[in-house]
Amino acid sequence: MRRYLTGIDWVINTLDYICKKKTGVGNISQIVLELDGKLNEAILRERLVKCISQLPILCGYPARALNLCPYWKIDAKTSPLVLDTHYLDKSSSTREIISYFEDSLNKPFQNKREHLIFNLAFVGEKSYLGMVFDHRLMEARGAEAFLNLLGAEEVSLAALSHPEEPSHLDNWLDKFRAGRKINRIFLRLAKTQARVLPQAKDNAKSKVRLVSFDTQESARIIDGSFKEAGYLMFMPFLLAKCVIKLHRIFEQKEALSKEYFIPVSIDNRAQSLVKQDPFFNHLSFFLFRITPLEAENFQLTLAAIKRQMYEQVSMGLPEAIKEASYLMRIAPVSLVKLLLDLLARGENASFSFSFVGESAYTADYFMQQKVNNIFHLPRVPYPPGIGIFFNQFKGKLNTTLSCFQGILSDPEIEEVIEALKNLP
Amino acid sequence: MGEKNTKEIEERICRRLASILSCPVSKIKSDLPLHTLGVDSLSFVELLVFIEKEFNIKLMESGIDKEDFKTVRSLATCISKIA
Repeated sequence: MRRYLTGIDWVINTLDYICKKKTGVGNISQIVLELDGKLNEAILRERLVKCISQLPILCGYPARALNLCPYWKIDAKTSPLVLDTHYLDKSSSTREIISYFEDSLNKPFQNKREHLIFNLAFVGEKSYLGMVFDHRLMEARGAEAFLNLLGAEEVSLAALSHPEEPSHLDNWLDKFRAGRKINRIFLRLAKTQARVLPQAKDNAKSKVRLVSFDTQESARIIDGSFKEAGYLMFMPFLLAKCVIKLHRIFEQKEALSKEYFIPVSIDNRAQSLVKQDPFFNHLSFFLFRITPLEAENFQLTLAAIKRQMYEQVSMGLPEAIKEASYLMRIAPVSLVKLLLDLLARGENASFSFSFVGESAYTADYFMQQKVNNIFHLPRVPYPPGIGIFFNQFKGKLNTTLSCFQGILSDPEIEEVIEALKNLP
Repeated sequence: MGEKNTKEIEERICRRLASILSCPVSKIKSDLPLHTLGVDSLSFVELLVFIEKEFNIKLMESGIDKEDFKTVRSLATCISKIA
């Protein structure tokens, strides 16, 4: 059985290849549920084993068909469940709890069939369930939807066991046109080199820091963003705030007057669609360019982001990226890496940014325990090795700073965290 | 432009918004604020691009006010005056 990979899936496979080459660990992330009660470990284990046995897709791996199209090979072989349990002191701070989950972001999967690792931490009367996932198998909202399904009383996995995706070996003219459009945009974007921080050593460890806001604080931030950036302009507002803060750090570390280049992943699928098909990648990207002069001023940065967002939607860039990426599937990931380097004229992104938006995890309870919050702890792709990520769960806003050791010093991390705490 | 035209514009915006949000048109209530319908910054920009192309309006130069963007109905009323 097979599921064909899309062009975006193949780009994500390439990112995974690059991350493994540079850091020894692939392009992974972890999603953590904060539960207001003690999860029954035995029942959880039983449910996870059942899930893995019923969903062979979870233990698949990339392969290539005779028609040269890459696909996810799904067979009867499975990978054993990995569920680690840990007891933390009941007085543990959020930082200490997150630090426990951070450890597993630096461990590679053991074999080609392993794409999920579960971590369960008990902290007093609370429990935290972490799921490390391979981005080749699912994206952030897909992982939320998958956990939503896993935590339900009646788990019905039948609909998910045979996910279909056509080979997309048609409409080549459209794909070439999209490719030409992307090339033109990249030519315009790559006029000057992108500003990047000095890179970390190979095999550096990934670090994550979390800032969480309660519902009142989150509402205040969203309201403030509408006032400062305009109605519904929450994502451009958050990105502009991140640019302003990181600009100070970049200025301290290197003074070259290059421009910032920020790819922003976007997934605008409706929740119902994410729940129907939580696997693989359905996202696309905006590509923002900000000059150091703009980055000195919040309103200038915001205006630049809004203008580019409007232009890119207007010219259909996110759709063109999806369409053009099909052309890359013919090449193995090592060659796609070279092609991407060539397309971007050897440029790296300055930093990663994403705003997951309203959660695809919608249940109030996970296996009878109330869900207080959901945190995303992504292992930021390397390069750029630094990223800021936002997600929302039932009106609560969370933000995660993810970076590799050596890219930011501890005082610099504290500086960014303080700025994020003081949003807006 | 009459009431009939405003209604037609409203329906066209509702249809487009339903397509952007991947939901049935019946879920798009014209008198509710856009954020309660699930519109975020990306879908909002997609809607703006649609309005400019569909109704041949330059929004920046149209004098359209932020209050006009609150609901589909207020947006349709405003467009019917300037289109």
